[in-house]
Order: sequence, then structure tokens, then C-alpha cells
Amino acid sequence: MKKRRWLLFVGVMALVVVLLAPVYAAPRVKLTVWGRDLPDEQADHAYIRALINNFKAKNPDIEVDYIALGDPGLMDKTKVAMANNKVLPDIFQTWGGSTMGGYADAGRLLDMTKELKSIPCSSAAQQAMTWKGKIYGVAPFFAIAGVFYNEGIFKKYNLSIPTTIDQLEEIAETLKSKGIQPFACGAKDKWPVLALFMYLTDRSGGVQVFNNAADRKSRFDNPEFIKAAQKYQEWVKKGYFGDKPLSETYSDAQQLMATGKAAMQISGSWLCAQYANKEFTDQTIGFFAFPEMKGGKGKITDVMGMPDIAFAVTRTAANKRAAVVRFLKYAMSVEVCQAEPGRICSVPGVKARNPLTEKASNVFTQAKEIQFWWDQNLPPMVTTPLLDAMQNIFLPNADLKKAFTTYESLVEEVMGPVKK
Amino acid sequence: MDYDILLGKPAKDKSRKKQMREIIFFKIFFLLPAVLFLAVFMYYPIKETFQLSMMRASGLGESVFIGFENYVRLFTNEEFQSGLINVFRWAFWSVVIQIPLSFFIAFSLVAYRNKMTNGLRAVYYLASVLPSAIVAMLGRFMFAPNFGIIASISRKFNWIWLDKVDFLGDPRIAFWSVFFVATWAYIGFYIVYIMANIEQIPVDIREAAELDGANRWQYAIHIVLPIISYPLRIIAVLCVVGSLKLFDLPYLLTGGGPGHATKTLGIILYQQGFVNWQYGKAAAVGVVIFLLSLIFTVAQFSWQRKEGDIG
Repeated sequence: MKKRRWLLFVGVMALVVVLLAPVYAAPRVKLTVWGRDLPDEQADHAYIRALINNFKAKNPDIEVDYIALGDPGLMDKTKVAMANNKVLPDIFQTWGGSTMGGYADAGRLLDMTKELKSIPCSSAAQQAMTWKGKIYGVAPFFAIAGVFYNEGIFKKYNLSIPTTIDQLEEIAETLKSKGIQPFACGAKDKWPVLALFMYLTDRSGGVQVFNNAADRKSRFDNPEFIKAAQKYQEWVKKGYFGDKPLSETYSDAQQLMATGKAAMQISGSWLCAQYANKEFTDQTIGFFAFPEMKGGKGKITDVMGMPDIAFAVTRTAANKRAAVVRFLKYAMSVEVCQAEPGRICSVPGVKARNPLTEKASNVFTQAKEIQFWWDQNLPPMVTTPLLDAMQNIFLPNADLKKAFTTYESLVEEVMGPVKK
Repeated sequence: MDYDILLGKPAKDKSRKKQMREIIFFKIFFLLPAVLFLAVFMYYPIKETFQLSMMRASGLGESVFIGFENYVRLFTNEEFQSGLINVFRWAFWSVVIQIPLSFFIAFSLVAYRNKMTNGLRAVYYLASVLPSAIVAMLGRFMFAPNFGIIASISRKFNWIWLDKVDFLGDPRIAFWSVFFVATWAYIGFYIVYIMANIEQIPVDIREAAELDGANRWQYAIHIVLPIISYPLRIIAVLCVVGSLKLFDLPYLLTGGGPGHATKTLGIILYQQGFVNWQYGKAAAVGVVIFLLSLIFTVAQFSWQRKEGDIG
């Protein structure tokens, strides 16, 4: 009887220990991560899938709560959360630049300079995640703007990669005469218009044209911007963007490239994975740097770029620094970055997985000047109005000078007048 | 004998004062949830929006009181002016086109009732139950260049004139393309609402009209229209207020472009607040929408009150 009681006592104690064990075990650190893409089977989600799933498997002491918010859900929710300043994620996906800088200025981000400075990556990627001398995150992938072109069509009509804008115009004329739309753009969505405008401005006046305007040393309606806009409008009027450019969305533009109805597209290298995917297109797509302008100040090695996938850390992660650093270091590891099928990686030692990404990577590595994508470089209050002003280029009768002067007055309201 | 209206039977020995107290207590008791709900989710946000509209606020950092500066900047801004004109245009054409069209279809379905009537009613109503995103997607599928239905048909039949029309990209046409899709999406509800009202008209009125020799359309114009004028005015108010708040279809179909051709106050509010981080200006747009909606609704109902339609 006594033995039985003893056994019962031991059994009960064992049960209590088993039940209480998780309570008294070392607490798991929980990281809340807000991202754009779902970690699902979609080809261009391969990196995020590998990052989240593998990190969880390899770090059982860290609980990762990854929330995919989509586009523009990620940007909208982040803005509202940052303004509210109560419920913030520990880490969030960002495109760096002034938007991230605005959060940093408002004290929402955590200075991670000490921990992240030594992580190997391209200087452009590190620069993009730096604001006023402090590093707030990492950018495992970097996107540059360049010209995607249909190699088959170029070969068929004996066209070669242009080195000057005059040659590019000749190619556009030839393509038009063959019934092929020279450029796909997606002007309906506004932002795709910017890539070509940035290059036309740079190739004519150099990187200083935009830098000076952004630093309020010159106006946004100065002659260099107007000249670039007029050249752009001239191309629109010549029909280089088809006869209904303002009805064309960015996804329409991709379809035009995928079906060989358009021969070139000036856009970001994030498209490499899609254009290299044989299930998406049977065309062979190549990539080259935007050509120089005869007599212009900009060089072919001036490249427009911004982070493609990047993560920044918020103030709520102040007590979880060790876990955050482990996550970000893993995000920048060769092992996980190799899962990405098409983006340009900023981590040394990660090889491009297709010839198209390799071509874009070459343009990136040969770049001597990387200018941050304008709409990520200006304060958010003036970025959409810039894109609105851009869309005027596609209206044949639009007064471009007036559009840019209107934009300048808004910039003055937000960023102040030009310093004399 | 006194009557207890709460218990629904003659009052026993309660004093009149006590009864009144009970009535007041129950009135408050039943009204309180609704009042609280309105106060928390409506009146308080309205008050906050008014306050915010007087601030320069980016959401990050301190907000600065600037008085009516946001309103001054808005009313001198070309984009806002276009938005204002567009919503008034939209309201006007909604009342002029959508309501008569809805009445025409609703009356035809009732007057020429046959086996297909219920099916047709469902077909017309279908667009109203579809989410705006789907309606916009269908609209884009119809108007898209290169891959759209109209583009494909015009190429198939070699209708070059139709192929050349840029439905969503030409500033002169984009407004009407969006309005066309919206008409298809919205009239389903109006048709069902008007049909329900027409069907409530007593049969003997129609028979009397028939005996007097009125044909179907004379009956529609001289008898049905006056009888259902009140529900039609309700629809007109919905049209006008809905136009002032308009956001989803123009935003999804054209993003407010090309230029400012389809920009509405709702789109400007969204862009100022969630894209440009100008929460003060966004609140000012919200206040303008609120005041315009209030003015139109009050004007509409006081006009009806004058005509004796409502108490």
C-alpha cells in the first residue's frame, strides 16, 4: 500500500515537472518581422521563403513571427505604425532612402552601426541603409535601372547595343518601322516613367543636376530637367511607347516584353528573374547600361539604384539586439542569398543564377557613380507629386515647364526654397 | 385612467412623476449604446479630423498649428480644383444618366414581366454584389490596350477607328470610361430598389389608368414616377453623396490619371495622407468632403420637407 502511494507521488511529481518545464525553461526571444512577399512557392519569393523557413529551423531559441503585407500594404502599414509609434515590428522590409531616414529622424529606428558595419556587402547597399552616418539595417539585394532588350529582335534586325542616345533613337526608329513597339513602360502606374527620366537628366547634365535640386542648391524646374522632359516627350510623340502609353500598366509592359511586342524596357533589375524564366517568356531578354548623350556630362557608368530587398530595425528591438543581429547576418549570408533566382546580390561570393542577372550585375559592378532612385531619395511628401509631374510628359499638349514649376513650389513648401 | 406605455397596460398606482422618470430612464438606457457608438466612432473622429486639418502634420514628430493654411493651399491647388470639378461632374451625370436609366430598366422589367424577369434582375444586380476590385479588373480587361476585349474585337474586325481610342489613357475619354464601368456597377442596386417600389403600387391604380386609355409609358411617366418620387430622391442623395466620397473605381482603373482627369477628392485624400504623409492636408480634404455631403443631404431633405414628402 505504502509502495503504491510512493509510486503515485512520484508519478504526480513527474507530471508537474513536465507541465512546468516550458514555464521555467529559458524564454524564447520573439522577433516580429514585417515583409512584403509571402514565403510561398512562387519563384520570386524563393529568398524570403529560404530566409524565414531556414532561420526558424536553425534558431529554435528565436521565434520569428513573419507577417507578409504585400505591396503597397507593407508601406502603408509601416507608415501608420511609425506615426502611431505604439505597435512596431522589430524588423521591417524597406527600400532605405529618405523614407527610412524619416523614421530614423523621428526616433523610431535603432542605430545598429556597431553590429552591422562589418557585415560584408557592396558599398552601395550599405550606403543605402545608412542615414546621417548611422546604419539602420542591411540590404542583401540591390536593384539598378538599365535597359532590358529582346536579343532575338535585335539579332533579327541586325541591331547592336547602343553606346549613345542617338544610336538608341535610330534603333527605336528601326523597330517602329518594323511594327514593334520600341519601349514598354507602364506609364499608367506613374512610377515606371521615372527610370528613363532619371537617365535622360543624368546623361545630359550629370548626377549633380538632381543632387543640387535635392540639396536645394537649384530648382526642379531648371533647364536641365525641362530639357530631359522635352526629349522624353519627343519620344512619346514619335510613338516610341506605343499609341496608348497612358493605358499601359507595368504588368502590361512586362507582357509586351514577354510576347516580343515591345523590344526594350528601361526598368529595375528586379525583373531579371521573371525575364529569365522560360515559363514566363519564350523570348531571350538581355540587359545593357543606358547609353551616353553626345556632349552630355553624364557617364555610362552613372547608374540609378536602390535596395531591392532590405531590412531595417526599429526601436522596439532594443532589448533583442543579439537575436536581431543573428537574423540580419543570416539574411546576408551566402547560404540564404543563393536561393534568390534573379535579383542582384550585394553579398560577395553569391553568383548570379542566370545570364540576365549576370549582365545586370556586370553593369552594377562597373558603375562608378550610383545615384539613389529619386523617389526613394526625396522626402515622401514630394515623391508622388514628382511622379504626377512625370506623367505630364505622356500628355502630348502638356506644358512641361508649368508642370515642373508647380512641382518646385510644392518642394519649396516642404523642403524650403533654393539656398542662395 | 393612466396607461403605462412601457408595460402596455393600465397604470396601477404609480404617480405620474415616477412614470415619467421611468420613461426617461428607459429612453436613455436604449439610446445609450447607439449614442456611445456614434460618439466613439463618428463624432470624436470628426472632431479630431477638424483639429488635424488645422495642423501641419507628417505623422512623425511634432504637429504644428497653422490655422486655415491647409485649406488655402488646397483651394489654390490645381489637383484639388480638378478633383472638386470631377466629383461635381460625376454627381451631375450620375443623377442625369444613372437614375433615369435605372428607372427605365426597372419599369421595363416590371411592365413586361415574363419568365426572364427574375433572371435579368439577378444579372443587373450581379455587378452590385461584386467587390470594386473585381469590377475594376473587369473594366480594365475590357479597356486595356493590346490585350483588352475591345482592342481584340476591333483588331479582329479591322475597326481601326475603335482600335485607336485610348479609353483609359486619353484625358478626354478616361472620365467617361470610368463612369461607364461605374454605371454598370451601381445601377443594379438602383434597379432592384426602384422595382421593389414599383411593385408596391396597387394593381387597381394601374387598372384604372388602363381603363382611362393610358399606355404603359404614359402610365410610367404620369403615375409611377410621381408615386415613387420619394425613393428616387433617396437614390439621388445616395448618388450625390457617393460621388463626393468616390474613390475605389477611379483609383483602381486609372489611379486618378491621366494627369488629373479622373482624380476625385477621395483619391486626393488617400494620396495626401497615406502616400505624401501630409495628414493635415488629408484631413482638410476629409473636412471638405464631410461639409459638402452634409450641405447636399440637408438641402435635399429640406427641399423634400417643403414639398411635404417627409415629416
